[in-house]
Amino acid sequence: MLEVNHIDTYYGELKALWDVSLTLDKGEIVALIGANGSGKSTLLEAIAGLLPPTTGEILFEGVRLDKEPSHRIVEFGVCLVPEDRGIFPGMNVSENLELGAFSKRGRKEKEETLHVVYGLFPILKNRRNQLTRTLSGGEQQMLAIGKGLLSRPKLLMLDEPSLGLAPLVTKNIFEAICQINQTGVSILLVEQNVHIALRVAKRAYIIENGRIVQHEQAKNLLRDRRVIQAYLGTHYA
Amino acid sequence: MPKNWKSFFIFGGIIALLAMLPLFTNRSDVLTWSCLTLQYILLSQSWNIIGGYAGQVNLGHAAFFGLGALTTRYLWLAGLPFPASLLSGAFIATVFALLIGIPAFRLRGIYFVIGTLVLAEILKVVIDTRFPVASVLPVETLLTYSLLPRYYLSLMGAVLSVIAVYFISRSRLGLGMMAIREDEDAARTSGVNILQNKLIAFAISTFLAGLAGGIFAFYMVAIQPGYVFSPIWTFDSVVIVFVGGIGTLIGPIIGSVFFVLLKQWLSLHLPGGLHLAVFGVLFILVVLYMPDGFIEAIRRYGKMVTLGRKPMVQGG
Amino acid sequence: MVQFLAQTFVNGINVGALYGLAAVGLSLIFGVMRILNVAHGEFLMVGGYIGFWLFKLYGVDPFVGLPLVGIFLFLIGIVFYKVVFSRVAKFHEEVKLKNSLLIAFGLYLIFPQIAMVLWTADERAISPAYSGQAFDLLGVRFGYVPLAGVCIAIIVILAMYLFLTKTYFGKSLRGTAESWKAAKLSGIHIEWTFMITFGLGISLAGIAGVLIALTQELTPFMGMPWTLKALIVVVLAGMGSIVGAFVAGLILGIVEAVSAIFMGPYTIAIGLLIFLIILVLRPQGLFGRA
Repeated sequence: MLEVNHIDTYYGELKALWDVSLTLDKGEIVALIGANGSGKSTLLEAIAGLLPPTTGEILFEGVRLDKEPSHRIVEFGVCLVPEDRGIFPGMNVSENLELGAFSKRGRKEKEETLHVVYGLFPILKNRRNQLTRTLSGGEQQMLAIGKGLLSRPKLLMLDEPSLGLAPLVTKNIFEAICQINQTGVSILLVEQNVHIALRVAKRAYIIENGRIVQHEQAKNLLRDRRVIQAYLGTHYA
Repeated sequence: MPKNWKSFFIFGGIIALLAMLPLFTNRSDVLTWSCLTLQYILLSQSWNIIGGYAGQVNLGHAAFFGLGALTTRYLWLAGLPFPASLLSGAFIATVFALLIGIPAFRLRGIYFVIGTLVLAEILKVVIDTRFPVASVLPVETLLTYSLLPRYYLSLMGAVLSVIAVYFISRSRLGLGMMAIREDEDAARTSGVNILQNKLIAFAISTFLAGLAGGIFAFYMVAIQPGYVFSPIWTFDSVVIVFVGGIGTLIGPIIGSVFFVLLKQWLSLHLPGGLHLAVFGVLFILVVLYMPDGFIEAIRRYGKMVTLGRKPMVQGG
Repeated sequence: MVQFLAQTFVNGINVGALYGLAAVGLSLIFGVMRILNVAHGEFLMVGGYIGFWLFKLYGVDPFVGLPLVGIFLFLIGIVFYKVVFSRVAKFHEEVKLKNSLLIAFGLYLIFPQIAMVLWTADERAISPAYSGQAFDLLGVRFGYVPLAGVCIAIIVILAMYLFLTKTYFGKSLRGTAESWKAAKLSGIHIEWTFMITFGLGISLAGIAGVLIALTQELTPFMGMPWTLKALIVVVLAGMGSIVGAFVAGLILGIVEAVSAIFMGPYTIAIGLLIFLIILVLRPQGLFGRA
C-alpha cells in the first residue's frame, strides 16, 4: 500500500536521509526503530509532505505522494501524528477534533468518526470543552491520535506516542492503537520504547544515521541479541 | 598583510582625491551632491553599526539624528563655537540613547522594532509642538555662508564613520555584536555580555547619528525642527544600508552614492516625492531577491568573471 | 462638569471604536501569519480614499460604499499577498517576521507618494448632507455619523469573532495561528489560509478607513500615525486577540480624549509613552497571557 523508494532528504544543506526504502502492506503495523537523530521522524515528515524528498519516490496506493503538498496528502488518507502531537493548545478538545476532520475526506464522516473516537477514549468526551493545554500528557496524546483518526486515514503514522507518558498510560495508548489497527487502519510506528513497539508490530525497520540498516520480522528482532543490546537495554537479555 | 595594505592605499587615495575635489571644480551642484553623499555615508554607517552588526533593527534612528541636529543648531546660533556645539549635539544624542537603551534592550526582536519606532514618534510630536518655528541662519552668517567648510566637515564625518565601522568589525566588541545578531541565546551562553555589548554599539551608533545631525544643522540654511526628527531619516539610512549591503563596511558607501545619484536623477524626471516610491520598490526588491545587497551582487559578479576566466587559462 | 466628562467619554468611544477596528485587522494578520504589517495604515488610507472617490465621483453614499470598499480592499490584500508577502511566508518565524516587516516598511515609503499623485496633499473628507447632524441625550451630544461608526465597528468585530469561533474556516485560521505544522497535518491548506487572512485584515483596514474619512480628514500621510495607533492597541491587547483589540481600542480612545483636556497637543506623545512603558513592563500585552 505504501512504497518508499530510494529517497534522499535534506534539511537545508544537511542530508538527513540516504537512499531510504520501505514498504507497508494494508492492515499492517510496521515499526521504525533507531536512536535519537537517526532520521525516524524525518522519514515520517517526508511521507507526510512536510519535508519532501529531493530524490526517489513515495507511492501510496499507486499515487505519487512526493510531489503533493501536505494538505493533499491528508486527502489521500495518510495522516501523521507528530512527536509534538500536532494539536492546538489554545483551542478546546472538540475544536481540535473538528479541525482533525478539516479535510473533505474526514468531514464527510465526521459524526461517525467522532463517535468512534469518543468510544476509544471516553475521557475526551468528558473533557471536550476544556482547553487542550490544560490536559495531562496522556490525554493530549489520546487527543492527538483521536484528531488524527478524524481525518479518516488509511495509514496512520505515529511518532513517539509514548513519549513522556507513565507506563500504565502507555499501555492504554497501545491497546487503543491495536484496536485502531483492527478496524483496518495500517500503522507506521516510531517508538523509543522498542520492547512495546516490537510486540505490536509485525515487521520493523532499523534506521541508523539516516540509512535503513536492517529489516526483519518483529518477533525475530526480539530474539536478536545485537538489537536487544543496542535498543532494549541489557537487562532484557 | 599585503591585501590589507592595498585596501589602505585605496582608501587613503580616495580620501585624498575627495579632499582635493574642490580644487578641480567649483561647481556648487557637484559639491552639494558630494556633501549629501558624505553625510549619508555617515548616517547610514551609524545605523549599520546597530542594525547591521548588532542586528538590532532600530527604526527610531531619526530621533538621534534630530537630537544632534537640534542641539548643535541652537547652541551654535546661541554663540557657542561650532566644534563645541557639534560635539555637544552628538553627546546629547548618546546620553539619550543610553538612558532609553536600558529599558529598550529589554525588548527583543519585533518588540524592539516597534518600541524604537514609537519612541522616535514621541520625540517628533513633542518637538513639533515645542518648536513650531523654523530656525533660519542669521543674516551675518548667511552672508559668509560657504560650502567648502561644510564639505570638509562632511568628509571628516564620513571618514570617521568608516574608520569606526572598520575597527568595530575587527574587534572583540564587533565579534560580540555579530554573535548577538546571529543568535542571542547562544551568544549569552558563550559569555557575551548582551546588554553591555548592545549599549556600547548603541552609544557609538547614536554618537555618529548625532554627529550627522549636527553637520546637517551646520549645512542647512533653514531647519524646521520637526523635520530633522522625521522618520524619513531612519528610512533613508535603512534603505541605503540594505541596498548597499547590510553588515558590511563598503555596503553603506555604495548605497549612499547610489542613493544620492538616483535621487537626483529621479527628482529631475519624477514629480514631487515619487522618487521615494521608487526607493520603496527598490528596497522591497532587494529584501526579496538580494538580501545581501549590491555588494554581494558585485562580489558574485567578480567571482563569475574570475571563475569564467580560469577555464580559458587552462584551455590556453 | 458631569456633562462635560460624559461628552468627553462619548467622543473617546467614537474614536476608540475606530482604533479598535483598525487594530483588529493588524492583529488578525499578525496572529495567523506572524507578519507585522507596518503598512496597515497605508491600506486604511487607501480604503478611505476609495470611499471618498465613490462618494465624490459617483455619489455613492459612504455607508453603501462601505461593503464595496471592503470587497475591493479584500482583493487588493490578496494581490499584495500573492505578489510580495507570499514570498516571505515560507521562511522560518524570525526571518519571516523581519523580512515581512521590512517589506511592509517599503510599502510605507511607496503608498503616500502615490496617494499624493492620485488625491493631492489636500485634506479630504467624506461629507454627506447628514454628516453634521446629531441628537441630544441628557445634554450629551451624539452625532449620527460617529454613532453609526461605532455600531458598524461593533458589528464587524462581532462578525469577525463569530466567524473565527463558529465556522469551520474560521477555526482553521485559529488553528493555523496556533501551529502551522499541526494545521498542515490536519489537511489545512496554509497558503490559502494565509491569503484569505491577509485579504480579510486589509479589508478591515479599508472599512476603518471609510469610517475615519467620515469623521476626520484624509491625507496621504495618515498611514503611519494610524499604524502606530493600531500597533499600540494590539500590543495593549496582546498580539492576536480580536475582542481584546477592540476593548483596548476603546480604552485608548477614552484615555486620549480625557488626557486631551489636560495635555493639549502632547496627548499623542503621552499615549505613546504609556504604550512604551507597557511594552517594556508587559510585552505580552495587558490582556495577553505570559
